[in-house]
Amino acid sequence: MTKVYVGMSGGVDSSLSAALLIEQGYDVTGVYMKNWTTDLPGMKCPWADDLADAKRVAVNLGIDFKVFDFENEYKHKVVDYMIDEYKNGRTPNPDIMCNQEVKFKLFLVAAIEDGADMIATGHYARVEYGIWKMEDGESQLQSMPNSNSQIPIAKLKQAVDLNKDQTYFLYRVTGQALSKTLFPIGEFTKPDVRKMAAERGLSTAAKKDSQGICFVGQVGIRDFLSLYVDQKPGEIIDKKSGKVLGRHDGAIFYTLGQRHGLELGGGLPYYVVGKDMDKNEVYVTTDLNDGTLWKDTINLADVHWINQAPNAGKYQIRVRHRAPLTDATLSYDGDNVVLNLQNPERAIAAGQSVVIYDGEICLGGGIII
Amino acid sequence: MDSEIIYLDHAAATPMDTRVITAMQPYFSDNFYNPSSPYAPAVKVRCDYEDTKHKIASLIGAKPGEIIMTAGATESINLAFSGIAGHVVVPNIEHHAVLNCAKLHNHTLVNADKRGFVSADSVKSAITAETQLVSVALANNELGTVQPIRDIAQVVKSERESRLVSGNKTPIYLHCDASQGVGQLDINVARLGIDMLTLNSGKIYGPKQVGLLWAASHVKLQPLIIGGGQERGLRSGTENVAGTVGFAKALELALEHRKFEADRLLELRDSLQKKLTDAFPSAIVSGHSKHRLAGHLHMSFPGLDGERLIFILENRGVMLATGSACAANKGTRSHVLTAIGLSDEQADGSIRITLGHLSTTENINKAGEIIIEELAKEYQRVNR
Repeated sequence: MTKVYVGMSGGVDSSLSAALLIEQGYDVTGVYMKNWTTDLPGMKCPWADDLADAKRVAVNLGIDFKVFDFENEYKHKVVDYMIDEYKNGRTPNPDIMCNQEVKFKLFLVAAIEDGADMIATGHYARVEYGIWKMEDGESQLQSMPNSNSQIPIAKLKQAVDLNKDQTYFLYRVTGQALSKTLFPIGEFTKPDVRKMAAERGLSTAAKKDSQGICFVGQVGIRDFLSLYVDQKPGEIIDKKSGKVLGRHDGAIFYTLGQRHGLELGGGLPYYVVGKDMDKNEVYVTTDLNDGTLWKDTINLADVHWINQAPNAGKYQIRVRHRAPLTDATLSYDGDNVVLNLQNPERAIAAGQSVVIYDGEICLGGGIII
Repeated sequence: MDSEIIYLDHAAATPMDTRVITAMQPYFSDNFYNPSSPYAPAVKVRCDYEDTKHKIASLIGAKPGEIIMTAGATESINLAFSGIAGHVVVPNIEHHAVLNCAKLHNHTLVNADKRGFVSADSVKSAITAETQLVSVALANNELGTVQPIRDIAQVVKSERESRLVSGNKTPIYLHCDASQGVGQLDINVARLGIDMLTLNSGKIYGPKQVGLLWAASHVKLQPLIIGGGQERGLRSGTENVAGTVGFAKALELALEHRKFEADRLLELRDSLQKKLTDAFPSAIVSGHSKHRLAGHLHMSFPGLDGERLIFILENRGVMLATGSACAANKGTRSHVLTAIGLSDEQADGSIRITLGHLSTTENINKAGEIIIEELAKEYQRVNR
């Protein structure tokens, strides 16, 4: 029997994933990944309830349950990365890093070492499995066993529920990792998932979806960053007139295209159109047609392809989670990718990820420079 | 789920006694007046409130003017620490309410022994010339171990006398958190020889969020909540008359049936303990073999996961705990179990059973059968 370790977060998606895998005849073990969280002294730690929820579901499904502690690695690879990116004036996405570094690397390797054949998660995504011959013969995941020239790889496919599709967050995983991965709920819509969970009596069936960044908990990103970055007051400047409109408490807290939180008083809303991290200045405008807000060419560095790099040509892209796919022409500039957009996109900030699709298949993507 | 719920977590919460509810009822509606208002019906409520505090005082052997009503034991404990500026001494197995208050001061933690027992000698050696407060729970909430409060009071008393001789003007008080064990132990403050006592209504079949701090008249306190000056200025806010009336009734009932209830629970607990240890000889019973609350049974089943057991047993209608309700379910090990030297494996495989009013011979027998059956299955699962 194929042994599957399913990541159980205590939410309804991963709970149902575990239940479905059992019904499909797999030998299932539930695993709670203990990631790093902000533990403020005297406060109830937020992950404890999630761990208890996950364990309760595992017990009721009659499966083994383990806790994998990735706290240090998570802090190092995801949290520190995020803080550094912000410090450098960019807007990173910690969920993408978490998938790349923790769920589809650390967890996968730890699960296989512990005796699993495959892993599963409650992501809204699908995998198309197959065996392809890797052209350069280089194993993408060094620590994976069985690397030979005939490597089972797999394609990442959008979920049936396009509204919930999470492939945007998964574009940095490897095809090899996907070949060892099951996404049991990728074929279902979220309402179906809740209904199926309730039908099976899962205690998490009605649990609210988690919001925001996992390790930040109830605290917003701004409050979280304030713990690590000193507030540094600076000026908010009207880009057109050069007039100082107000003050901010650190350019680091502002993101291109951001509308809220400028506290500049009434009138037309202001949008962030740029910032100078050295001068600690934030530039804003009321002009929604401002050139910096709209881009028709995007340059990507740190490009990652799930399988082989695609040929130059026409593809679809997504600039943020749940944004509609838009057409773009892909060309290469050395290791970097240049995307020419058919229609300009608004508020594309450095550090954000752009993910590239060929129809339903997620090919990979890169980080905006 | 089996239809009947067998509740084995009386140390976490207790259901309100119907007699308590009946006593409280008039003060929610008919006698709703603010005790500070001047008209006759309100004055009557004021009298009832004062009478109730008199009653509570006489139940614990104190003067009525020395009782401060609070919103529960945690607040009482905080208030007990409020007037302290110097060094404090607390056992390392105290409830977090006490430990976290102690951490705000220069403090010494006294190590409990492996039975969770805090000897008077160990307290004595932790006391320094600057010590202003010693705070020891009457009984440990996780293990049920009953502490030698009278002996510890002797230690504090002789320290006070020697300070008198040496001219050290630093006051030293003994605070006892008696949240656990009120229905089973003597809590007469004069007999205990203490300076402050914390009581919790929610653990004795009274309303939750009601507690009190008794502080002898020589103890100096600082209010945590200021306002209209109620409770002699030490705890402002309109008096919780219904809660206080309920608490007094609950306390009266607890003390009235104390001996009978302690004997009854002891018999039930011992029979359950024997059943479980016979079925699982490798199990460890923690807590003092003699000085232990009659309703407490703390057991470790090395190799098993206590939290998993909770979820399995809840499906069978049996509700119990892995530790104190605050520490449990947090995926963190109990500081009490670590302090008494249980290994991680033993601590993780722990459950706490606490009996009380809802326990009967029948449901404890049934609980024993269910626990044995489910634990056997779990051992099978982990050993396969």
